[in-house]
Amino acid sequence: MIEFALSKKQQELKEALHSLGRHVIRPMSLDMDRNKEVPESFLRNFMMMSRGVRSDDIAEFHEGTPRKERDPSKPSESNRTAVIAAEELAWADAAIPLSMPGPGLGAPPVRATGTPEQKKRFLGMFRDMDTGPLKWGAYGLTEPGAGSDVAGIRTSCRKDGSHWVLNGRKCYITNGGRAVWTVIFATVDPSLGRAGHRAFVVEKGTPGFEVGKIEDKMGLRANETAELVLEDCRVPEENLLGGEEAYRTKEGFMTAMKTFDNTRPLVAAMAVGIGRAAYEYARDFVKQNYVLTRPIPRYAAIADKLAKIGRRLEAARLLVHRATYLADMNIPNAKEASMSKAAAGQAATLACIDAIEICGAHGTLSSEHALLEKWFRDIKVYDIFEGTGNIQRVVISKRIVSNLKSF
Amino acid sequence: MIAFEPTEDQRLMQQAVAEFAKATLLPRTRELEHARGVPEDIRRTAHEMGLGLVTAPEAAGGQGQGLVTSVLIEEELGAADAAAAFGLAGPGAFGRAVIELDGPERAAELLAGFADEGGWDRFGAVAWSEPAPCRTHEGFATRAERIDEGYRITGKKAFVGNAALADRFVVFAQVEPDRGWGGIGAFVVRRDNPGLRAGERHKTLGLDAASFGEVVLEGAVVREADRLHGDGSEEGFTRAALRFFVKHALVVAARAVGLARFAFDLAREHCDTRVAFGKPIGHFQAVAFTLADRAMDVETSRWLVWKAAAAWDAGLHEREALLASARAAAHAFEATMRTADDCVQLFGGSGFIRDLVAEKLMRDAKQLMLAAPTAEQLDQLASAIELGQKLDPALVLPTPDTQAIFT
Ligand SMILES: Cc1cc2nc3c(=O)[nH]c(=O)nc-3n(C[C@H](O)[C@H](O)[C@H](O)COP(=O)(O)OP(=O)(O)OC[C@H]3O[C@@H](n4cnc5c(N)ncnc54)[C@H](O)[C@@H]3O)c2cc1C
Ligand SMILES: Cc1cc2nc3c(=O)[nH]c(=O)nc-3n(C[C@H](O)[C@H](O)[C@H](O)COP(=O)(O)OP(=O)(O)OC[C@H]3O[C@@H](n4cnc5c(N)ncnc54)[C@H](O)[C@@H]3O)c2cc1C
Repeated sequence: MIEFALSKKQQELKEALHSLGRHVIRPMSLDMDRNKEVPESFLRNFMMMSRGVRSDDIAEFHEGTPRKERDPSKPSESNRTAVIAAEELAWADAAIPLSMPGPGLGAPPVRATGTPEQKKRFLGMFRDMDTGPLKWGAYGLTEPGAGSDVAGIRTSCRKDGSHWVLNGRKCYITNGGRAVWTVIFATVDPSLGRAGHRAFVVEKGTPGFEVGKIEDKMGLRANETAELVLEDCRVPEENLLGGEEAYRTKEGFMTAMKTFDNTRPLVAAMAVGIGRAAYEYARDFVKQNYVLTRPIPRYAAIADKLAKIGRRLEAARLLVHRATYLADMNIPNAKEASMSKAAAGQAATLACIDAIEICGAHGTLSSEHALLEKWFRDIKVYDIFEGTGNIQRVVISKRIVSNLKSF
Repeated sequence: MIAFEPTEDQRLMQQAVAEFAKATLLPRTRELEHARGVPEDIRRTAHEMGLGLVTAPEAAGGQGQGLVTSVLIEEELGAADAAAAFGLAGPGAFGRAVIELDGPERAAELLAGFADEGGWDRFGAVAWSEPAPCRTHEGFATRAERIDEGYRITGKKAFVGNAALADRFVVFAQVEPDRGWGGIGAFVVRRDNPGLRAGERHKTLGLDAASFGEVVLEGAVVREADRLHGDGSEEGFTRAALRFFVKHALVVAARAVGLARFAFDLAREHCDTRVAFGKPIGHFQAVAFTLADRAMDVETSRWLVWKAAAAWDAGLHEREALLASARAAAHAFEATMRTADDCVQLFGGSGFIRDLVAEKLMRDAKQLMLAAPTAEQLDQLASAIELGQKLDPALVLPTPDTQAIFT
């Protein structure tokens, strides 16, 4: 059946998160931005609370492991539920879903390529956060010299006895400084391109693995972005994701990249959440200031702008829902995942720009419309990380143009 | 639960229409264009398939299907020949108008005859547009004066689909000029009414297989019973009128989605095969990214149209369904125009030549986006809904007076 209504469970989850967002997260949003931090006390409470909503999907979202074992060949609704939650949380403050304890972006590659032991070891360690310290995982692919051009990474790895020796530099790694481990991508030989890539789980405290600078960013300031430095870093061979067997064929690396099919719609949903926040803010501003107290003749143009933002965001949201629907049905969705990310990054960025414009000069005054100004700073990166808008278009192009390997 | 899967019945219907469209409409599209109409044999086949009466109540010989089924079918027609979708026999907009404006029970009586054997040659029409804006009062220039027998209607309507073919019309006219948009009414006028005649058929940019023309009312007398009252209240009538215009736009938008899909597929195929500078033009990034963006246009349009149709079928709050429809149709119209334009552009010079269908798609697309409330008008409606303003038919009716709302 063609249906767009949420299930009862999803609706309840959405409402619970919305209420939390409105009453708890929004009021602390500006402080978090200023202090460049999401308070641990909040994260801890939130984790307890989300147990209260009893959503296995949400638990999965920050623990990285399904609470109950699922038959992967059976349709589920977890991807759809996760994007609904992600949109709602990002609506409140995008730093929250990104700062959530758990393996984060590191989970998908471990889940996709890890051996059973690795999964147990690296994902299992997030299970005791109820009582123990909060923990994060991270995903380290980008380097100063290679972002979009993933094949161009230079961080090297060389086998030495029962260890691998890693050398190189990773940058812009989300939660990289605090992570208990980071999935680090390195190469045995740059001339081999992707075939030479290996992915390692590098644990905090491994000698030769240091946190470099913590970045000072335009937006998403409450979420940590770190540089990671590997200097003759010796990583035990058990930490090579999937074991050596996995790299006999090119598939190994491709599996690690496939994780984007799941994370892109999630990131896109967050973008829609921020865009929606800005849209609603501008809409309410117009309602209060233009119609009642300041009717100005420019109004038709403003109504026009508002409507266009509204429908662009809705279009992006539907691409997100479509991509996750396919994922839940176990239908390949690389094209759709990229579409959702490309459309959402762009629509939400435009929404934040136009929202400021609609509110006039006031929109840029951080005292009057501090949140609006913050969202404008937060949103831009959604068209950059997890693959830029252009890179999404490369992915889409390869799936609609015949025999297109690269440009 | 969010799902993008037609029911089995819908899928079968969709498939049957797709086959008909591909086998019958597609190969004869230029023949239809030059004949400036849809030939009898095609109309007979479509009538036997019940295409004109999918959403008509069962009491009127229809199938009583929802809007979702309707948009699925309209997309398939649009993907072969959007003009034919306008030019097939059946109640069309007339059916939608009487169902909204007078309820399904009364509609059954007004739709009598369409399901009969001779229905392949029976058309309905709705006349709202006028050749020039009314300068003396808000509302329609066409007047419906109250007289003892009922009403006498005088005025001129323009751009009316099937004006010369229809045997019954819904005519919008001003009953009380001093009451502006609150003083309008809708009347059923039959072809045999001596006060009604079809004026000139317009020569149009595109959609040639469908006819559009003037309807001249020279003191057409109708009974009180021919007035479509909605629920009897002024507000009820206004809401019914808005529902009609917006659902009409949604149906046209579904045809637009089909046309966009057609144009996209055509362009993609061409980009795969046309070689320049030693490679298929699709292997140039600027070309591939254009295709990627248009692919997103086609998909987002379709999902928005589905969501809006599902909103009506699920009985969502009226403002919500109006908003979803306004967004969907506005987006689909613009997206379709972009897609048809790029289709011609990617064909280069050959796109301009009538040996290929690309140029026709572009002309049809432009005409299509003027066939119902326009994207601009729908955006104004969407904003009025979002801003909690009083809804007024002026928001979607083709007259510059709509501007008055926002100045
Ligand atoms: C806040 C933040 C958090 C991040 N988190 C992580 C993380 O957790 N882990 C991680 O590994 N990385 C992370 N990144 C890095 C991010 O994924 C990269 O910045 C991104 O992939 C772009 O790479 P780049 O910055 O090297 O830009 P470049 O690749 O240099 O791109 C520059 C410009 O060129 C365009 N371009 C590049 N190649 C092409 C092409 N083939 N065709 C057309 N245009 C092209 C791009 O679209 C872009 O506009 C993060 C970045 C930020 C800012
Ligand atoms: C193929 C086709 C089929 C049609 N079928 C019928 C039919 O069956 N019956 C019938 O009665 N009519 C029909 N029409 C007429 C159609 O409804 C109108 O053409 C359409 O609603 C636009 O109205 P208009 O032409 O009077 O333009 P106007 O209302 O004069 O608008 C001119 C321009 O101004 C823009 N505009 C108008 N209002 C606003 C606003 N508030 N804010 C911003 N911009 C605005 C419009 O978008 C448009 O670009 C048909 C038209 C076509 C092309």
